[in-house]
Amino acid sequence: MSRQFDLNDDGLVVIIGSGAGGGTLANELAQKGIRSVVLEAGKRFTMEDIENDEWGMFNKISWLDQRNLVGPSRLAEDFPHLPAWIVKGVGGSTIHWAGVAMRFQEHEFKMKTLNGAIPGANVEDWPLSLQDLEPYYALAERKMGVCGTEATGMPFHGKSTHYQVIEAGANRIGARCEQAHLAINTRPFDGRAPCQVTGFCMQGCRFGAKWSTMYTEIPKAEATGNVEVRPNCMALRIEHDRDGKATGVLYVDADGVEQFQKARLVAVAANSIESPRLLLNSASSLFPDGLANSSGQVGKNYMTHVTGGSYAEFDHPVHMERSTVVPGIVKEWDDNDPSRGHVGGYELEALHLGLPFMAAFLDPGAANGWGRQFARSMENYSRMAGFWICGEDLALETNRITLHPTERDPYGLPVPVVHKADHDNDTRMRNHAYRMSKELFTAIGAHHVNDLPPYPASHNMGTNRMHANARDGVVNQWGQSHDIDNLFISDGSQFTSSGTENPTLTIVALTIRQAEYIAERMTRGEL
Amino acid sequence: MTASPRVTLSRRRFLSLTGALAAGGLALGATGLWPRWALAEPALARRLLRLGRDIYPHESIEDRYYLASLSPLLEEQRDAVATGLDDLDRRARAAHGSDYAGIEDDAEREVLLQEIQHTPFFAQVKGNLLMGIYNNPDLWPLFGYGGSSWEQGGYRHRGFDATPDWL
Ligand SMILES: Cc1cc2nc3c(=O)[nH]c(=O)nc-3n(C[C@H](O)[C@H](O)[C@H](O)COP(=O)(O)OP(=O)(O)OC[C@H]3O[C@@H](n4cnc5c(N)ncnc54)[C@H](O)[C@@H]3O)c2cc1C
Ligand code: SF4
Repeated sequence: MSRQFDLNDDGLVVIIGSGAGGGTLANELAQKGIRSVVLEAGKRFTMEDIENDEWGMFNKISWLDQRNLVGPSRLAEDFPHLPAWIVKGVGGSTIHWAGVAMRFQEHEFKMKTLNGAIPGANVEDWPLSLQDLEPYYALAERKMGVCGTEATGMPFHGKSTHYQVIEAGANRIGARCEQAHLAINTRPFDGRAPCQVTGFCMQGCRFGAKWSTMYTEIPKAEATGNVEVRPNCMALRIEHDRDGKATGVLYVDADGVEQFQKARLVAVAANSIESPRLLLNSASSLFPDGLANSSGQVGKNYMTHVTGGSYAEFDHPVHMERSTVVPGIVKEWDDNDPSRGHVGGYELEALHLGLPFMAAFLDPGAANGWGRQFARSMENYSRMAGFWICGEDLALETNRITLHPTERDPYGLPVPVVHKADHDNDTRMRNHAYRMSKELFTAIGAHHVNDLPPYPASHNMGTNRMHANARDGVVNQWGQSHDIDNLFISDGSQFTSSGTENPTLTIVALTIRQAEYIAERMTRGEL
Repeated sequence: MTASPRVTLSRRRFLSLTGALAAGGLALGATGLWPRWALAEPALARRLLRLGRDIYPHESIEDRYYLASLSPLLEEQRDAVATGLDDLDRRARAAHGSDYAGIEDDAEREVLLQEIQHTPFFAQVKGNLLMGIYNNPDLWPLFGYGGSSWEQGGYRHRGFDATPDWL
């Protein structure tokens, strides 16, 4: 269990959020002897809390505080108060994540150089390259136990039936298809069990085979005696002194009492809606537009990946749910080839939903998803195979998080308003992905293919983006804010662009690199 | 959503695949297992049943599952439900000269439902059924869905990598 630190101890790092970014940062710093307090809005769950139950787990661990979603999209119509699917709990969204762990491709760090300015978008290059990140990717793969990599030497999972069906379709149309790199053990690794193939990765892994900070980074950090995790503690605002240096964090504790924790350094890792919201809520007379916001980019460039689903119905059994959630990926269109009609690439990730979620997402929304055709598709559940589409989402200034002028949440904070709309490029990419999926499935005899619209965003990025210069971004290549030296961003909101790949491996790699930088600067007395 | 023409399994094939035929799934009319409110107001229950079976038409699922799904709604908002059904009947009589449940053609009833699909009444009935039908472990075997599997050690040693013979 956690050691306890004093509220007035001003030698501590205060980390907000305990997910992929925050949990990893706490452990990396702790291993280097740096002490931190982790404030986590959610509670601490145990392995016994993890059930193979889609709605049960969704209701138990999701972030359900009010958020408003606006913008011309089907998602805003279907889910006006649930823009994103994010966990509130010690471990954050790494409890729910599917474990797909892929490196970015080289060109994805330079989307502006590669494609030039794209009208209507706000695309920029990252201030670092794949070469800069490569050593940290290897460390992240080792830490997380990613199968199919040199870093671990762990083999892939073996081809599930769902994978074999998709591979056959891909072969038929000549599309490249591979088993997925998953941060899921295929043999005992790091004191955790191998995967039992329950099929419920997105409900939390009861066996601990899938990496989650909940039972890896957090307990390891606590075991050093350098870290105190405070669950049920919601950060309200970050305070600063007259010189504009962060001094600590005001939060509400588990008993509903406001507390102020002093800090030497503050690291924000609350995921891409709450992180900018916290900076905006911390506006002061010195920083009237919010902390670290001299660029005006805090909250902007909200990216979720271009998503959607494609589920095919066959005449024969598949039983896609008898598999890791993502057994494989069709990567044929993951490159940047504008001749397809869109810049950026996408992946078709074989992914199953259980029957309850399939019913909810096949044709979502209060008025949709009913009737004879819908029921026939549901009766074909055991003969379905399908993809979740995951493609590069362009940064747009107008896709952003703002604060509601009047509505407040129970903490008295303005409710976040999320504006998200497609760029034409996004729409063209999604349509291309629907078309290719249909071709692939039809080639092996699918008699009906359902195009599913996006569901609430599981990947959230970009709202405190990295940039080489302070005018165009919020943080530098180490996640350090341009405006305030001792204020860092340690989650996916740092991303300059979304890439095609799922974000978490990159979040963890960036965090390992950031921890090294913080430790060095501290040793030199610069922080 | 896509609306391409499609081949589908016949009802009989679905029933035989799921084992519902053998398990006596045809005892649809039995009221013995109906929830209390439905037994107290069988006329209301039958009107709701027609609606529920048009929203999620699964012939192999017994009436009582539809009715049980709607119990919380009935207990909390009986009058709103009755008003919604009256409205639907009014529309049915105007279009076809018969109450909703009296219209024999499935497609004609579906068209009437499209007229009301944006009402809170429809959303509530549908939302309750969505959970009661598709989130109901008793019914999962009918759909070939296995549900919770960790208790049995997952599918690691139960054929997750079986090769489909039809590929
Ligand atoms: C169903 C699902 C499947 C996914 N699958 C994949 C996948 O296969 N591969 C992949 O790469 N990614 C996947 N993801 C995404 C992945 O989970 C996230 O990218 C990752 O967890 C983000 O890390 P983070 O540190 O930014 O935020 P999180 O992990 O979400 O952690 C943020 C934490 O901050 C806490 N918090 C927020 N505000 C405050 C506050 N004011 N005070 C205190 N605490 C606060 C939250 O409670 C939360 O615990 C998936 C996500 C979901 C939901
Ligand atoms: S399939 Fe494997 S990784 Fe996923 S929840 Fe089950 S045991 Fe865990």
